[in-house]
Amino acid sequence: MGKPKLKAALENLKGVDHKLEKQKKLRKKAEKEKKVKLQQKGGLEPEEGDDAETGGVALEPKKSVKGKKNGEKAPEKPAEDEQWETESEEDDDKPRYDLSRLDDSDTSGDDEDFADEDGAPDAEEEEDEDDEEEQEDIALSDIESLASEDKGDIVPYQRLTINNTAALLAAHKRIALPLSKLPFSAHHSVITAEPVQIADIDDDLNRELAFYAQSLSAVRKARALLKSEGAPFARPVDYFAEMVKSDEHMGKVKARLIEDAARKKASAEARRQRDLKKFGKQVQVAKQQERDKAKRETVEKINILKRKRAGAAITAENEPDQFDVEIEDAAVTHRKDRDERKKGGPDRSGKSNPKRRKKDEKFGFGGKKRHNKSGDAESSADFRGFSHAKMKGKPLGGAKKGGQRPGKARRQKAF
Amino acid sequence: MAAVYKALSQPDSKVPKSEGDKATRQRVLILSSRGVTFRQRHLLNDIHFLLPHSRKEAKLDTKTKLYQLNELAELYNCNNVLFFEARKGKDLYAWMSKPPNGPTVKFHVQNMHTTDELHFTGNCLKGSRPILSFDATFESAPHLQVIKELLAQTFGVPKGARKSKPFVDHVMGFTVADGKVWVRCYQINETADNKAQALPEGDVPEAEAPKRGETSIGLVEIGPRFVLTPIVILEGSFGGPVIFENKEFVSPNAIRADLIKSKAGRFNRRAEAETQSRVKRGAFGLTTHGGTKAERDPLDNRELFA
Repeated sequence: MGKPKLKAALENLKGVDHKLEKQKKLRKKAEKEKKVKLQQKGGLEPEEGDDAETGGVALEPKKSVKGKKNGEKAPEKPAEDEQWETESEEDDDKPRYDLSRLDDSDTSGDDEDFADEDGAPDAEEEEDEDDEEEQEDIALSDIESLASEDKGDIVPYQRLTINNTAALLAAHKRIALPLSKLPFSAHHSVITAEPVQIADIDDDLNRELAFYAQSLSAVRKARALLKSEGAPFARPVDYFAEMVKSDEHMGKVKARLIEDAARKKASAEARRQRDLKKFGKQVQVAKQQERDKAKRETVEKINILKRKRAGAAITAENEPDQFDVEIEDAAVTHRKDRDERKKGGPDRSGKSNPKRRKKDEKFGFGGKKRHNKSGDAESSADFRGFSHAKMKGKPLGGAKKGGQRPGKARRQKAF
Repeated sequence: MAAVYKALSQPDSKVPKSEGDKATRQRVLILSSRGVTFRQRHLLNDIHFLLPHSRKEAKLDTKTKLYQLNELAELYNCNNVLFFEARKGKDLYAWMSKPPNGPTVKFHVQNMHTTDELHFTGNCLKGSRPILSFDATFESAPHLQVIKELLAQTFGVPKGARKSKPFVDHVMGFTVADGKVWVRCYQINETADNKAQALPEGDVPEAEAPKRGETSIGLVEIGPRFVLTPIVILEGSFGGPVIFENKEFVSPNAIRADLIKSKAGRFNRRAEAETQSRVKRGAFGLTTHGGTKAERDPLDNRELFA
């Protein structure tokens, strides 16, 4: 945007008339053409030129009006107005800036830029281009070396493949190190015996594995070569120096590793918990069943023992049997006690329906559950747990401890 | 420690320091153009750390007058230049050149990952000399040979370079795959054999497995990672005729343009289909306004009794 404005300002300053300029240019061109014609025809046919001129002359009266607009006709005429002539001469005297030149320089600058940039090839790559075409066309790179006059005429419209083998080999030869003469420790470069083949370049794992394998084989080879040359290879354990990665960076890497491990562990734990939750109910049910089974077995055992004893004395299904030491189980006795009490005594149980009894045992007896634990007449009358000595506050093993505490005077005497 | 080592190894190092060292003497000028992103800058730093014989320079102001690099290289006594040219804040091109008159290769850098973002556990001494591992494909074509030589001289730390360490603890791998050069950097991890046998080393075949009493070698990647697509090779240093051009290379600009065009194409196709259907409907004479009317039959009542 800046350029046209600048140009316009320049023109204003210099008072350049565009139309005038154009006309003049055209006139010059026409003159040149005429000259060429003359040269070609060897001056044999000047009449034709004259004819053209006469044609022009016929238009002359209009010309002074139309001249400015109709630029094409004006240059054809050799007999030009004096005015025009003088004006142009004046212009010539002034120091002028050739704007057309300015334009040209701009474009040429662009061309150069393009030439520089075509190191970075553009998209206009034509794949279907063949070798035959290559030979006919002029390569872009060759254009650069051409003279600048010729450059204008050639339009580089295609990108050609360049693979100048001779030049490449020469360049390689120029910079190559004499690897065969140098000891291995001087260059450290290893080349694989066979080209590395990677089936699928997008398969990250196998690709990286191929790279790894290549480097590993190179290291093996290099290590053997260096050992044979007596050059040091591995870093001694006690050799400390600055590393490529700082301690800070390595710390970060380590922290990341730890974090990774911790996350993995946490996720495993979470999964275990989820699974446990899913199967927890089942486990609980199974446990309950197991417990019930154990209880049932115990009860069965008790019953068997009872039946054995019943064979000995059928009549004695009374209290002494109930409190038989051999089969006493705290829980069982306790429950039995409670049941009996609820039923209102042991003798009542004999009357009731065995099925009913069983059901009562299983589902509970019914009736009110309130004040179950509070004392009633029966419990008040129950003196089994009563001890006279306890009530009197006498020590149980009083005799063992050595009797009463001696009096104060006696105690003081003893010390 | 280093001083002690130097003192001890002095008599040895004097012997080979002769023509071999001179022939392989390399110095690399590393710099970038203006407009590099932080990742590209970090990549440059990573490479600079790996090459003790490199000299880092301030960003070059121009992107067109690259021949200035020759003068810069001369100024710093460098016979290699590694220049990163950033374009549009996303594309990175790497130029590798041998300044006075050697060839120049221009690469497009892709799949670039700096050491920072790759959390690899490998590490190596700053300034130790790498082993350069080349794929045999490099010898298959003349342009690849040139590229290999340039890579070897740029990334190979010469013997006796100023800040180099005498040990070998990392390897740089250059592989040609898919017409591109893939660059990797690994730490060489030597472990005592008895330990190594407990370690699972799946990818090492049985025949190659180390014998008893030796140490086994494993590699741990260090970073950075990048892929270089060769674009052109110039005969001179940042100038001269083009002696190789990669036909398969498609500029990232073209790819982006194609993407945009394909998106625009969808709209254009729909718009065109719409106009076509309108024209078609007009031809049937179904619309009241516009379009062509259906021709009247000559036996039509309106014709006969007109």
